[in-house]
Amino acid sequence: MAATAEDIERKDKLEGIGCSRKRKEDPRFIQGQGTYIDDIKLPGMVYGALVRSPFAHARIKSINKEKAMELPGVLAVLTADDLKPLGLHWMPTLGGDVQAVLADEKVAFQLQEVAFVIATERYIAADGAELVEVEYEELPVIVDPHKSMDKDAPVIREDLVGKDEVGHGKRLHDNHIFTWEAGDEDSTDAVFDKADVVVRENILNPRVHPCPLETCGCVGSFDKVKGQLTVYMTSQAPHLVRTVLAMLSGIPESKIRVVTNDIGGGFGNKVPVYPGYVVAIVASIVLGRPVKWIESRIDNISTTGFARDYHGIGELAADKKGRIQALRFNVLADHGAFNSHVSASKWPAGLFSICTGSYDIPTAYVKVDAVYTNKAPGGVAYRCSLRVTEAIYLIERMIDVLAQKLDIDKAEIRRRNFVKADQFPYNTSLGWTLDSGDYETALDKVLKAVDYEGLRKEQAEKRARGELMGIGLSTFTEIVGAGPTKACDILGIGLFDSCDIRVNPTGSCIARMGTQTQGQGHQTTYAQIIATELGIPSEEVQIEEGDTDKAPYGAGTWGSRSTPVCGAAIAKAARKIRDKARKIAAHLLEVSEDDLEWDVDRFQVKGVPDQAKTMKEIAMAAYSDLPEGMEHGLEAVDYYDPPNFTFPFGAYVCVVDIDPATGETKIRRFYALDDCGTRINDMIIEGQVHGGLTEALAVAMGQLVGFDEGGNLQGNSLMDYFLPTAVETPHWETDYTVTPSPHHPLGAKGVAESPHVGGIPCFSNAVIDALSHLGVTHVDMPHTAHNIWKKLHELGVHE
Amino acid sequence: MKVEIDKTYTLAAPVDRAWELLQDIGSVASCMPGAEITERIDDAHYKGLVKVKVGPASAEFKGDIEVQGTDAGKRELILLGKGSDTRGSSSASMLLTASIGDAGDGASELHGRAEVTVNGKMASFGGRMMESIADRILQQFADNFADRAVAMGGGSEAEAAAGRVEEKPAEINGLALLWQVIAGFFSRLLGRGSGAS
Repeated sequence: MAATAEDIERKDKLEGIGCSRKRKEDPRFIQGQGTYIDDIKLPGMVYGALVRSPFAHARIKSINKEKAMELPGVLAVLTADDLKPLGLHWMPTLGGDVQAVLADEKVAFQLQEVAFVIATERYIAADGAELVEVEYEELPVIVDPHKSMDKDAPVIREDLVGKDEVGHGKRLHDNHIFTWEAGDEDSTDAVFDKADVVVRENILNPRVHPCPLETCGCVGSFDKVKGQLTVYMTSQAPHLVRTVLAMLSGIPESKIRVVTNDIGGGFGNKVPVYPGYVVAIVASIVLGRPVKWIESRIDNISTTGFARDYHGIGELAADKKGRIQALRFNVLADHGAFNSHVSASKWPAGLFSICTGSYDIPTAYVKVDAVYTNKAPGGVAYRCSLRVTEAIYLIERMIDVLAQKLDIDKAEIRRRNFVKADQFPYNTSLGWTLDSGDYETALDKVLKAVDYEGLRKEQAEKRARGELMGIGLSTFTEIVGAGPTKACDILGIGLFDSCDIRVNPTGSCIARMGTQTQGQGHQTTYAQIIATELGIPSEEVQIEEGDTDKAPYGAGTWGSRSTPVCGAAIAKAARKIRDKARKIAAHLLEVSEDDLEWDVDRFQVKGVPDQAKTMKEIAMAAYSDLPEGMEHGLEAVDYYDPPNFTFPFGAYVCVVDIDPATGETKIRRFYALDDCGTRINDMIIEGQVHGGLTEALAVAMGQLVGFDEGGNLQGNSLMDYFLPTAVETPHWETDYTVTPSPHHPLGAKGVAESPHVGGIPCFSNAVIDALSHLGVTHVDMPHTAHNIWKKLHELGVHE
Repeated sequence: MKVEIDKTYTLAAPVDRAWELLQDIGSVASCMPGAEITERIDDAHYKGLVKVKVGPASAEFKGDIEVQGTDAGKRELILLGKGSDTRGSSSASMLLTASIGDAGDGASELHGRAEVTVNGKMASFGGRMMESIADRILQQFADNFADRAVAMGGGSEAEAAAGRVEEKPAEINGLALLWQVIAGFFSRLLGRGSGAS
């Protein structure tokens, strides 16, 4: 039956799934009406500032608080010794380790938290922190993770001496954290031994930082009379934080409320619990007053939530036609001074084993060794699921290396190795089941759009003239939506997510989720899901997150899990409500439930569209006129445990021109095709892709948290640290295909991270492709003009 | 952060007088801009202080100086200075090998090889300029040393040099130093040479 004009109009009015609805968050943001952490002001609030270690590795000989305490306005100076009686000078990390809240006898990275000064004004607190005198005895420093396990390496973690395990199996050295493996080592080695072609490359994912616009911060507010703790903080996972705080403080979880309000970008930086949060909360409990701590930009880049620092060795074995027969990746992971790596309990190297990517690789083996160094602890998943960027960077680089070795076109070698559309669901040799995909169609569409053959021709002509032009490809598969609780937990809590919907008598509704938006636009897109599922206009759907007293428990927003996990919970909660609504409609229309069909915003009698009850009418009836024995109200909660991850994918092409004299790279064209399954809001997806590509550009072309040999940070302010603005960002061309996820109620897969994960290797591949005729198979990021210039110099291009 | 500097400066003073001055640790220390010896423990061990001023902010470095060796034959002095600022935010050490050579015509030359290691705030924030700044400090040291050596002699030149020694600022002026570094950078860029040998 063709939809009538009236039907279409009704549907459009809802602004449901597929509508490019404008972001509901933006009016308050562009008018300065958002509530970020530093906007929180409470009566009697005082301020904290951290005293930090100037040295990367040193013993603390003494801490003298006297001068700081003499400063008028300073209320207290806390050190590890003050937290000791409360048992709070150390805290558990998400990586199964412990981390010093305030340095206990020694510091192990530059700018480590040593003391906390609390004062009536923020400036006084900062001045007070300057007056705290700490005497250090400097110790030898390890910066290079390759030296961590040297025989005579200084021991970074004296607290762990004698412990042969830190949460993830046997340690091999005092500075070793864990070894993690996947796949079959023996059969992989056997394939390598006999292979026609083997390629090998050292590939680094350098240490970077997500650098969200808003730094971390917290206001701890303890009500001594009621025994209640309210914590306002920048967290991507408020419920998990509440549980951690209950475990740490001994305060019943029911008396802890975590409120997140608006968050100015997270990108993984705001998943962990940091010392700054803990000391502000402890200070509030001790003083009985609200205590605010706001991180500075330098402290943010230097101490909280670095990402990557994965030193990989990639190897592929293939036949002469470029068909990959086996993959072997070995990684040395620098986790800094404490293992506060964000990972699900059973996945110390995150989801790194997705590293077979989009390719049908029959045999594989991966091994990750993590070590301590005198650098800030971490790391977090910077706009990606845990260690997925690192994994995809390795495979997408290695397949190019293989193509160059065999002199096969870089698009062609991908086509030869793709998992084919009819192979899904596809079980990878490292244990994942890819849910759905059509890689070849995506690649063909992109190659056609950019006239790939024309570009290769142009490149050949330019090379003949001595010009440098590169064409980069990336045909990635992502793994998002953590995750099935049988496989994924954090601190024993499964990574499900939740939604609670309550429909009011007049037919509007309020819905609350366990996730937390940081710019993703949940208020906009979540309402669209409910609009389609319940026939309630998006405008009348109120979305709330980020207040643990109101929202149902969930694992938060990170790893592109909001749509894959929470989006499914929303659909399922809505469907529970629709089931009840059907019963009420049948009662009102005096027909059997089976005679009813759902149509946009109402139940109608099959074949008799005049006989219908709208959702609005049903909502009122739910509070007044119910079938016998039915409870009042129209609401539902759903806790969704996904049966599998989702596997979004894409095909990207990047075209660059490099100035041989200066090493400057100009990004001429970037074409990104993403397949994230069902698309809820095209405009928001486009925004996500733009943001992700911009952050990919940042990582590939400039970002680096660098150190000198003494562990001194080099470039931890925005003067050095590359944060692309409109000036540096090229024009992005976007495209899509739609291959729904078969196991997700809406078929949606999540998109926020794809452009970051897929974008980074695409930039690198383009830059390296521009140098490939000079025999270059790999150069490490960041591809700054200076680094490329040095490489060109080395290659003799400047002669 | 480690910087190595190897430089030679010409002195308008005879070699013996320059060598005599080099062995006087108190005088050598006070040739360092902003530095002074606060305590003499024995012939080889001293305690010292360096004052640094950058705009409104000032810092004091307290440290130990150890004479690791003198070689009269080679007219060479090896000195290790180690210190940290009193707030504990940075530390620095310098291993200096200084020697005096004869340049003939009543002149001599000061040859200095310094290995400077800086940790903490200074290494993080001043890292990229360390080399230029160390270069400038050493240049000032050499100028002061030359003045002192000349002042030990007689005549109007000696008087003028003695006057300059008197005027020596009591602290390292960070901003002035920075200005010199920037000016040096631009004059190099314009091909005029930085002035230092």
